[in-house]
Amino acid sequence: MSGVMLQSCAACGHSWQFRRATCPACGSPSFGEVEAGGGGTVWSVTTVLRAPLPELDVPGGFGIALVKLDEGPRIMCRTAAGLAIGDRVQVAVEDDGMPRAVRAGSELEDAGSG
Amino acid sequence: MAYLTGVAVTAFGKHPGRGPVDLMEEAALSALADAGLPREAVDGLVSGYATTYPHLMMGTVMAERLAIRPRHAHQAQVGGATGAVGIILARHLIAAGACRHVLVVGGENRLTGQSRDDAVKTLAGVGHPIHEVPLGASIPAYYALVAARYLHETGASEADLAELAVLMRRHAAAHPGAQLAKPITVADVMASKPIATPLKFLDCCPISDGAAAVIVSAEPMGAAAIRLAGWGEAHTHQHVSEMPDDLGLGAKLAAAQAFETAGRSPADMRLLGLYDSFTPTLAIFIEALGYAQLGQAGAAARDGRFSRDGALPLNLHGGLMSYGHPGVAGFLAHVVEMVRQMRGEAGERQVADAPLAYCHADGGVFSSHAGFVLERTA
Repeated sequence: MSGVMLQSCAACGHSWQFRRATCPACGSPSFGEVEAGGGGTVWSVTTVLRAPLPELDVPGGFGIALVKLDEGPRIMCRTAAGLAIGDRVQVAVEDDGMPRAVRAGSELEDAGSG
Repeated sequence: MAYLTGVAVTAFGKHPGRGPVDLMEEAALSALADAGLPREAVDGLVSGYATTYPHLMMGTVMAERLAIRPRHAHQAQVGGATGAVGIILARHLIAAGACRHVLVVGGENRLTGQSRDDAVKTLAGVGHPIHEVPLGASIPAYYALVAARYLHETGASEADLAELAVLMRRHAAAHPGAQLAKPITVADVMASKPIATPLKFLDCCPISDGAAAVIVSAEPMGAAAIRLAGWGEAHTHQHVSEMPDDLGLGAKLAAAQAFETAGRSPADMRLLGLYDSFTPTLAIFIEALGYAQLGQAGAAARDGRFSRDGALPLNLHGGLMSYGHPGVAGFLAHVVEMVRQMRGEAGERQVADAPLAYCHADGGVFSSHAGFVLERTA
């Protein structure tokens, strides 16, 4: 699984990432915590060459993507260069708790090299 | 009824040694002089915030500095939309009968009062503290994500976006207060250093020192009456992760309300003052408002539609991208230029005639939208 935690509404089935007390779609207070499967599609992606802090600057930049998870929510992930909008990705949370998106099918290879 | 009776803007750029309160004081006093009002006539005050002086009560700080005792004063914080929301709020205070003359003022030494890294870091904080900021995102990165999506959906090119930066620079060249006046070309924009793809350095507004002020009154003061004819706001999300799929939705919602309350249509407008933090901001607003087909904002700019002698002159002072962007004063400078144009006081930048104008700003990442229609009624 992905390690990405979502809230999912028991009443209408809507899922979201940012913690709330009620469903943003229908207002129901009845929801559960679910782990996202990790599959998703790149909604947008950028390579950041000027970070907010100099210590975060990476030669050649670092990638940030907005990924539309198959469950519905759009979440922000780190990513390697080379992804394009519409690419299928697999998202998994890394040791620091932040999600990384990799091209679908490449995650086993990535895990092996990591 | 609410009228924009006094306007003032300082030069934008570097004002070393001057703090936010100093700069706002200068703009406020100039706006009072412009309106022909004594300072004690101000009975309402909406102040912006300053990243270089993060105070809890800037409204009261400004009232004290100006030695006035308004019946209402507070500090508004809606990011880049603060000035627009402040002007709409001033109209509401007047409509409620609570105030007769409301001073809306913003300004800070964002360029010389802190390091560039501090400025970038502070601004990045509009992102989500758990799910976005730790990824190393910045304001340009958030807007870059929207820009990439915009290019993907519309088929527009980076060179199309660059046209908007070129246009703003051309307009700034005619204003002595502009921070950046050296002409640029599309090739210059394309060759400027990448910040967050697809945004390059010249797709981004600069960081500036400066201040601006607008006085909103219950009645017109001078020869030209500039009425706040319609207003609208929309607050669709805060974080880009939760931004609506329709990139122009917030702008459409706020503008629809503004045109409805004004009893006017977008086609009635003869002048535009649109927030232009980045080239895609401007493109998305132009297209959401219907002033260009989807993906065609840059092409329309290239064809002259938004030039001084075009059908819809836009940001004739140079906008945030070239007049400059000191935070809250950034959009207020648009409003100052609109009022001067509508009064016929814009000198060599003067448009032929502009009895109706639309102004629009966003705060956050297309998060908070505020727009209003200005109408010259005398």
